[in-house]
Amino acid sequence: MKSTKFSPMTQEQIDKKWWEIGNYFRRNSLWMLMYCTGCCAIELPPAMTSAYDMERLGMGPMATPRQADVLLVTGYLSLKTLRRLIYTYEQMSEPKYVVGFGSCTINGGIYHDSHAVINKLDQYIPVDVYVAGCMPNTEAVMNGFTDLMGMIKNKTARGWLDYKERNDWYKKNQLDSLGEVLVHDEFHE
Amino acid sequence: MVVNILVGLGVALFGFVLQTAMGGINRKIVARVQKRIGPKWYQEFIDIFKLFSKRSVSHGWIFDFGVIMALGGIIATAMFMPVTANIIAFEGYDNFFIFVYLLAVGMLGMAMSASGSGNPLASIGVMRALTTMLAYEVPFMIVVMTIIKLTGGTSSVSEIAAFQQIAGNNWFIIALPLGGIVAIISLMGMLGKKPFETYIAPAEIASGPMVEYGGKQLGMLFVMHEITVFIEVSLFIHLFLGGAATLGVYLLKYFLVYTALNLISSVYARFKIDQVVVFFYKWPLFMAVTQAIIAIYLGWVI
Amino acid sequence: MMNSMNNVEFLNELVNSKFNVVKTEIINAEQMSFIVDSRDVHTLLTLLKTSGWKQLSYLSAIDWIKEDEFELVYIVFNWDRPVHIQVRTRIKRDRENASFETIIPIYPGAKYYEREVHEFFGIKFPGNPDFHKQLILENWDDMPPLLKDFDPRAYSDSHFEKRDYPEKHINLNNQESKQEKRQKRNLKSLLLRNGGKK
Ligand code: SF4
Repeated sequence: MKSTKFSPMTQEQIDKKWWEIGNYFRRNSLWMLMYCTGCCAIELPPAMTSAYDMERLGMGPMATPRQADVLLVTGYLSLKTLRRLIYTYEQMSEPKYVVGFGSCTINGGIYHDSHAVINKLDQYIPVDVYVAGCMPNTEAVMNGFTDLMGMIKNKTARGWLDYKERNDWYKKNQLDSLGEVLVHDEFHE
Repeated sequence: MVVNILVGLGVALFGFVLQTAMGGINRKIVARVQKRIGPKWYQEFIDIFKLFSKRSVSHGWIFDFGVIMALGGIIATAMFMPVTANIIAFEGYDNFFIFVYLLAVGMLGMAMSASGSGNPLASIGVMRALTTMLAYEVPFMIVVMTIIKLTGGTSSVSEIAAFQQIAGNNWFIIALPLGGIVAIISLMGMLGKKPFETYIAPAEIASGPMVEYGGKQLGMLFVMHEITVFIEVSLFIHLFLGGAATLGVYLLKYFLVYTALNLISSVYARFKIDQVVVFFYKWPLFMAVTQAIIAIYLGWVI
Repeated sequence: MMNSMNNVEFLNELVNSKFNVVKTEIINAEQMSFIVDSRDVHTLLTLLKTSGWKQLSYLSAIDWIKEDEFELVYIVFNWDRPVHIQVRTRIKRDRENASFETIIPIYPGAKYYEREVHEFFGIKFPGNPDFHKQLILENWDDMPPLLKDFDPRAYSDSHFEKRDYPEKHINLNNQESKQEKRQKRNLKSLLLRNGGKK
């Protein structure tokens, strides 16, 4: 006979349950911060408006990094924008996710030999989902978002934890390419 | 006394649930206007609970305390709100001026906290919010004063509602047509709907006072905002639409008012802040004064 | 149309009567270019500014590496007579101390353009108090990047990590690629359609 006695859960199990409940809310309400660095950003208006309507998935644009959950990096990043991207990423409140758009963020795309454009985004900040293409179809973009939701459900969207665990590695890469993340000149106090 | 407080908290909770659900339904309706499918009707609940499940940073104790003060002030205001003729927590205390003053506590809390964040855009947003408040309050107050004069000097919200019901459902929005228009415009200003959305302005000042909030603080501000909308729409229903005898009538009126405002706002673009002030001090003020003269000195009430 | 042609003629006369212009080029009714000696640039720009070309639209440079010269291009614009004028001049290409007198006294807005040119070509502008400060490239640590003898690929290779792809993504076991298969199929159908002839 099975015991009907109530067996109390350990603290870990309780935390896990809460985290799963939180995951349900997080994946159904992804607020995005669009960092429109390159031409891939032109795929976002059709994804947001009546053609593909991402609001039905609970996604919506947000104005500031503090309020947002997903950072969309749409296209090539020059050294100057990469610095701003790193500040922005570090300002977002956890849990946070990153989606990289286009071949430029994957391997440099058509700017692979430029002196000003980085080649591999995941050297500098953790990327959860890449959407390939130059530029990606809007279907591919929507597919990337649903993939991200699936990853949050399976608890594989661990980029932000990775950024904490391997922070030294990321910081070292940033310094290697950028020299200095926070520049000091007359435009910054 | 304890029972009263419990009923009051119940009213605040009811307002939060009602307005959050209405907000979701209205997002769906606006999406349909724009030929989209739109989110689920409970999307706003998901958003708020998600915000509470996130980790957030603090910018000092004024920042945190201001948020709590804003939420507390608004819940305290909502506790005095009569829902129908029978559901009312503190009988005799539902004075119109209590709402005006207590709402200011919530607003000040938010202003304090936003300035505590130290972001210049937040200060601009707070400045604009206060300027807008100054603009819409003058015409709205004149119309409400007229109503108080007509009902024989009582400023109790539920008594004004009862007055309209006793007089054979003679709603003030019909009895005072000019004043009704002024009240609708002012209500849109209060709720921050589209033409008067100047102090949120996501594309211009990055959502104004809320610029530095994230996670739990933003969640509290969202709850506060929902309850504020509940208070303002309820005030409009009681003062101008004859209140509600039963809960069903109340829900119906609430839905109609809020949806109509959203539909109006979905086809407008945003004013600049100086345009908002000039607009409110031009036609609504003129109409409100005309209405007061017609109703009080000439005695022409439909 | 007539009017704008007059503008060009007016300009041509104005400049050529007072200066020793190396070459005048009329590109169309809205664009002209004067190539002048580097000593005449400041006086020519002063003349143009006093006759209404009061906006400096751009200052650019070109690296003629074979002729060992830099070319500076000042583009000025007039809001009453719609003609863009390019004032071109050549200076000696000297990597370490190529320099040209600033035009800040004539067009104060040139301050930032000169900083940009210094950043990308290494030309110095004595008279401009902060031409050597950084503007666009932050913390640049190599030679100016728009010079023709700068190798962007080498810079990119040494500074940015490349993504390396495992071999199997490129070619799987010497299989035919899909494109080759498709070409064969097309050729075959073409043959069939034409009854065996190409
Ligand atoms: S991947 Fe292509 S479309 Fe996207 S930013 Fe790069 S070049 Fe532009």
